[in-house]
Amino acid sequence: MNKTSNRFRTFYLSLFFVILYIPVLGVVLYSFNKSPSTASWTGFTLDWYRDLFNDKVIIESFKISIKVALLTSILSAILGTTTAIISTYVTSKMENVIRGVMILPLLVPEVALGVSLLLFFSTLNLPFGILTLVLSHSLFCMPYVYLMVLLRLKEIDISIIESAKDLGATRWQVIKTILLPLVTPSIITSSLLALAMSLDDVVISTYMSGPTSTTLPVHIFSMMRVGVTPKINALSTLILVGTFFIVGLSQLLNKKSNQ
Amino acid sequence: MNKPLLSLIDINKYFDNFQVLKNVSLDIKDGEFLTLLGPSGCGKTTILRCIAGLETVDSGDILLNGKSVVYLPANKRNVNTVFQNYALFPHLNMYDNIAYGPRIKKSMTEDEIKVRVAEVLHLVQMSGYEDRMSSQLSGGQMQRIAIARALINEPDILLLDEPLGALDLKLRKHMQRELALLQKQTKTTFVYVTHDQEEAVNISDRIAVMNKGVIQQIGTPREVYNHPVNLFVASFIGDRNIKEVEILENNNNYHKVKLGNNTVTIRCSRTAECKSKPGDKALLAIHMDKMKIDCNEMPNSIKGKVVSVHYAGSQTRTELDVNGQSLTAIEYQNEDCEYKIGDKVYITWEESGAILLPMEDGFEESGV
Repeated sequence: MNKTSNRFRTFYLSLFFVILYIPVLGVVLYSFNKSPSTASWTGFTLDWYRDLFNDKVIIESFKISIKVALLTSILSAILGTTTAIISTYVTSKMENVIRGVMILPLLVPEVALGVSLLLFFSTLNLPFGILTLVLSHSLFCMPYVYLMVLLRLKEIDISIIESAKDLGATRWQVIKTILLPLVTPSIITSSLLALAMSLDDVVISTYMSGPTSTTLPVHIFSMMRVGVTPKINALSTLILVGTFFIVGLSQLLNKKSNQ
Repeated sequence: MNKPLLSLIDINKYFDNFQVLKNVSLDIKDGEFLTLLGPSGCGKTTILRCIAGLETVDSGDILLNGKSVVYLPANKRNVNTVFQNYALFPHLNMYDNIAYGPRIKKSMTEDEIKVRVAEVLHLVQMSGYEDRMSSQLSGGQMQRIAIARALINEPDILLLDEPLGALDLKLRKHMQRELALLQKQTKTTFVYVTHDQEEAVNISDRIAVMNKGVIQQIGTPREVYNHPVNLFVASFIGDRNIKEVEILENNNNYHKVKLGNNTVTIRCSRTAECKSKPGDKALLAIHMDKMKIDCNEMPNSIKGKVVSVHYAGSQTRTELDVNGQSLTAIEYQNEDCEYKIGDKVYITWEESGAILLPMEDGFEESGV
């Protein structure tokens, strides 16, 4: 009985993942296809990858994406962590208000968020570019940092904080010597998540990109208008590998800190 | 009379509308081992937290070395706490845990810290554990580190909140002896919270018995054990038979009282106990282990019937029926009289084992 249900579970999960990842696998496969068409497989090649690295526009937008993603993960780590720590020092009513406000960007549809940010930044006369990209990406990445850090903070035994106070620590010293070291794994994990989310965001970036600051996903999107080329397959494969790496790393760190 | 090291003066404390401390006043002498004893929820831990500064008081004053500390936050008071769950910092090794206090207060140089950490670790018999993390230690070891982490600051008072609560019985007994020894070695004032009356009697210089936010009695373990002032203390500390009696005569500190159909004589040793007048109701409390069962009639004995005999190693617990009232006797050995269930026996007790307490409203025998 147990064995059959076990076998069924394995079968179900395998089927689930196969269906989920077959399209992705196709992209990876065709990025090595000699023929530019997806109709037939004519042999293995790395030409598309070579093309990719010779494409100045793609390299440039990749650099911008990385720059934006790094700045976003740093900014959202700082803002998210600060808010999470502050919210543990206020009344529970205030804490609920903070939580509501912080989670809001996750609930508002990205299209609406993009439009409102567009209007907001143009009113401020802010030039569209890396700055606006980082600010808007941080808006939807910060909630993840906030939530993950808050979760960790809630796990900390109150008597650990009390005993630090008892041993002579001021509030700021408690934060610096006890709270921050204890939530560091969560900060790292969540900022890696922010990095990954910023890297593959299209909707918000479409609104926010300036003339000289197109991110990679936005550029891919514009390339798609003239059809899917094998170059896009190659690029997508590289992005996929990069994202897997980042998410894997964050999972690994998370697991390690939970032990 | 020495000035007290710490004085609590009329402390009142509310949690929402519930009053957890009611006019608590307490003087703690320098160098003593004082235990706050009471059932859970009686406010003993709250008193400890008020002394530590982790809880604010709603009214009253706390004097440490004669100076009011009620408005000082916890980090400015020279008292340290050992928490029930140890509360070691999980991200620091044991050396850094112990060094936390002096480092945060910048009260010592790193060289001094090194010497002092070695000293306190030696004191709690944990030398060599400097590099361990708390996840690598057992409960008893973590408790020792927690004590070392507090003692390195040389606090005026060390507060211990049921520090042995999570340990198994054998280790707890061992740690009780060590704590008492440690207190004498360091000459530090210990304020200890426990709900275990045996633990309190074993290790304390003085015990403050608490119930429902009120200190019922303060005294040496001997005083509290032998001369409880009221029903609560009498029933909380030591196993006693407590019966309602009527005073028949009060004669030179000897009371003749009516227990059921029997008349017995009780000597009262404290003036508070000796004020009753004939006709008053009172409570007679007799230590179960000061009772003796005889086969033949003895002076001042009462007649009863054996209801059950429960043999438990070194002691025998016998339930007796005296004209419908039940009494329990605990005897360590009885070579004079062998009895079995249903036998008629004669019951006496040591004079010092019986005391009279004021009658209390709502006293019900079954409820005690």
